[in-house]
Amino acid sequence: MSALTGSPARPDTGAEHPPDPPGALTRGRRRFADSPLVFLLPFLLVYGVFLLWPLVSGLWMSFTDIALNGAGGAFVGLENYAEALGDPLVWRTLGNTVLFTLITTVPLVVVALAMSVLVHTGLPGQWLWRLSFFLPFLLPVATVVLVWNFLYVEDFGLFNSVLGLFGMEGLGWLTDEGVAMWSVALTTVWWTVGFNFLLYLAALQSVPAHLYEAAALDGAGAWARLRYVTLPQLRGTTVVVLLLQMLASLKVFDQIYLLTGGGPGDSTRSLLLYIYDVGFTGYRFGYGAAVSYLFLVLVLGVAAFQLWISARRRG
Amino acid sequence: MSLIPRRPPPPAGSAPPPSRRGMLLGAGALALGSALGATGCSPGSGDAQVRFWSLFQGGDGARVETMLEAVHEQAPHLRVTSSTLAWGPPYYTKLAVASVGGRAPETAILHMSRLPGYAPGGLLQPFDLDLLAEFGVTAEDFVPDLWDRCIHDGATYAIPMDTHPVVLFYDTGTADRAGLLDGDGRLTGMDSPEGFVEASRALAEAGGGGGVSFGHVNDDSQGWRLFWMLYNQTGASLELPEGGPAGLDREAALRVFEFLAEVFDGQTSEPNQAYPTALAAFASGRSGMLISGEWELPYLMDHVEDLGAAPFPTVFEQPGSYADSHAFVLPRQGDPDPERVRAAHEFVALMVRNSLTWGEAGHIPAYSPVAQSPEYQALTPQSDYAVAGETPVLDPEVWFAGAGSQFHTDVSQALRIALTGNGPEAAVEELGLTLDSWAARTDPGGA
Repeated sequence: MSALTGSPARPDTGAEHPPDPPGALTRGRRRFADSPLVFLLPFLLVYGVFLLWPLVSGLWMSFTDIALNGAGGAFVGLENYAEALGDPLVWRTLGNTVLFTLITTVPLVVVALAMSVLVHTGLPGQWLWRLSFFLPFLLPVATVVLVWNFLYVEDFGLFNSVLGLFGMEGLGWLTDEGVAMWSVALTTVWWTVGFNFLLYLAALQSVPAHLYEAAALDGAGAWARLRYVTLPQLRGTTVVVLLLQMLASLKVFDQIYLLTGGGPGDSTRSLLLYIYDVGFTGYRFGYGAAVSYLFLVLVLGVAAFQLWISARRRG
Repeated sequence: MSLIPRRPPPPAGSAPPPSRRGMLLGAGALALGSALGATGCSPGSGDAQVRFWSLFQGGDGARVETMLEAVHEQAPHLRVTSSTLAWGPPYYTKLAVASVGGRAPETAILHMSRLPGYAPGGLLQPFDLDLLAEFGVTAEDFVPDLWDRCIHDGATYAIPMDTHPVVLFYDTGTADRAGLLDGDGRLTGMDSPEGFVEASRALAEAGGGGGVSFGHVNDDSQGWRLFWMLYNQTGASLELPEGGPAGLDREAALRVFEFLAEVFDGQTSEPNQAYPTALAAFASGRSGMLISGEWELPYLMDHVEDLGAAPFPTVFEQPGSYADSHAFVLPRQGDPDPERVRAAHEFVALMVRNSLTWGEAGHIPAYSPVAQSPEYQALTPQSDYAVAGETPVLDPEVWFAGAGSQFHTDVSQALRIALTGNGPEAAVEELGLTLDSWAARTDPGGA
C-alpha cells in the first residue's frame, strides 16, 4: 500500500528540492536503491546462508573426519566415500528407500488418478469427496502417525480386529519384518494421495469440453472417452506427478522415524534415517555428509531425468 | 506493526508523529530490552540463573515440577528455567551440540551410562566437591559402586539422582492363583530358568491370557537391557578392548537367548511385542506379568488395581538388575560465570536432597539419607524392589554404550533375532559381529 501512495509523491519531492548535485555517492546510492538487487537481497541472503553455504560446507565436511561435538576435522580425502561404498548398511538402507519409492509412487499415482476421475465424472456430493480425499494431506505427520499407530496395534488395533472378524490371524503390522515397510507405505499413501488427487482434478477440469463433445458425436461411450480423451490429456500431469512423487518418496524420513524408528531390524530404515543415525546419534558428521552427497548424486539423477523429460515434451 | 493503526491521532499543533521507521526501531528496542530482562542478563539483579535440561516426560516430568517447586521455596534466589526435551537419541544430540557451541544449560540430566562418552570429550565440566559439601551433599552419601562411575580422570563429572532398575511387575491376584506367592505375598520359585518358564506358563493359565509381557520390537534399548542383565547373572564378562575384537562369552550368551526363547515361546508369552503393546497388555489384564523399568510405576499404579513389584529374580548364578542412573552434570560453558556455577551446584544439591518425590515415581533415590529415610521405606511397592539398586548391572563402561546410543539400537537387534528370527544361535552370531564392529571403532568425539 505504501508503495502505491508513495510513488506518485516522488515527482513532487523532486520539484520541491533543487536537483541533487551530481555527486558520485548520491548517484551510487540511488542506482543501488533502484536496482532489483534491493528486492532480491533478502531472498539471496537466506538462500546463501541456508542453502549455498551448507551445501559447500557439507561437501567440505564429507572429506574430513569431523564429529558432531567438534572433535576431529582432519582432511581424510575420499576415505569416507570409500567406506560408504563398502558399507553394507548403506546399500541395505538404499534398497529400502528404493523399495519404499516403488511401492508408494505407483499407488500414489494410480489411486490419485482413479479418485479424481471418479469425482470429476459426477459422483453426487462433489465437495464432500474433494474434502475427504484432500483433508489427510493437511494433517501434520505426528498426528497421522499417532492415529495409524492405533490402527496398527496388534492385539486391539482396528486392522487386526477386522481380520479377526473374518477369522483371519492378525498381522504384526509394524513388528513383522516382512510387513512393516508395507504398513509405512500404506500410511504414506493415505496421508499424501490428496495432493496428487488435487493436481489430477485440476488437470481434468482443464480438459476442453469440446473434445468430449466431439468424441460423443463420434459415438464414443464413457469408457472410450476416458481411454482416448481423458488419459492422453492427462499425460503431462502424470509425468509431473510421477517425478515429484519419486523425489518426495526418496527423501522419506518423518513417518518412518515416528512409526518404526527404522525397525524391526533394519527393515524400514531408509537411507536418510541411516544418515541421521550415523551423523547425529553416532556423532560421525564427516561420514554422514559423505553418504548424503552420494545420495544427492542419485537424487540429482532423478531430477535431471525430469528435466530431460519435460524438455523433450516441450520440444 | 500493529502499533501503527492503534496509535491515537496526534493532537493539533503537537510535534510531528514519529515516523514509521522510528516506531519500528522503538518497538524493536523495547522487545530486545524485555528479552534481555527475561533471560536474566540485566546486570546487578542479584539473582543467579540456572537453566536445567531434562528428558523427563509423563509422570516423571510432573515429579520434577514438584521438586522444582520445593527447590524454589527453599532457595528463592535461584532463578531456575527448566526445559524438558524428548527422551532418547535426540536429547543427547542436542546436549552435545549445545556444549560444543558453548551455550549449554548450566545443568542437565545425563544417563550415567553416557558419561564415558561425554566426560573425556570435554563436553562436561567437573563438579567442585567443596562447593557441593557446602550445600550438604558429599561423596559418602552415595552407593560406592554408583559414585565410582561418576569419576573420570580423578574428577567428579556427575551427581546421581537415582538408580532405575528393570524390575518385575505382576498382578497379585493372578500370581496368587498361579501359586507364585509365598506366605508374605512375595514372588517365589522363579529363581531358575526352569522355574521362570514354569511360572510364565502358570501365569498364562491362571490369567487366561499371556504369561509374561516384554516389549522390545522397534525399541532402541529394551532388547539389550534384558540380555545384558541376564548375561551378567551368568557371571560372564564382556571385554571390549579398544580396536577389538570383543570378548563375548558365547556359551553364556547362548544360555541367555535359549532361556528367553523358551519363555517367549509364542504360546504362553508373546515374542514380538512392541513397548507400548506390552505395557497395554499388562495394564489391561491381558497378561499377568511385565518385565519393565520401574519408571512405568506411576502409570501402572493408576491402571492395575492389585499391582505387585519385585526385583528381577536371580534366574542364573548371581543376582543382578539392569540399571542406569539419572545424574546431574554441568555441560561445558563457553564463558563460565562463577556465580552461575555456584548456583548450579546449589540447585543440584537441593534437587538431590528433595529426591523423596522422585522415589514416589518409582526410582530408587541415589542419595542415601533419602533412600534410608523412613518416609521412603514406607513407600510401596517401591520398597519391595529397592534392593535391586544394590546389585545394579550397569552398561559396559565404554564411550559408545549408554541410554539412547546407537550402540543400544544395534545390540538390541539380537534379542529379536533370537525370539522371532533365526533363533538363539543366530542371535549370538549377530551379537558377536555387532560387538566386534563397535569395539573396532574409534571414538569420533574423543579428544
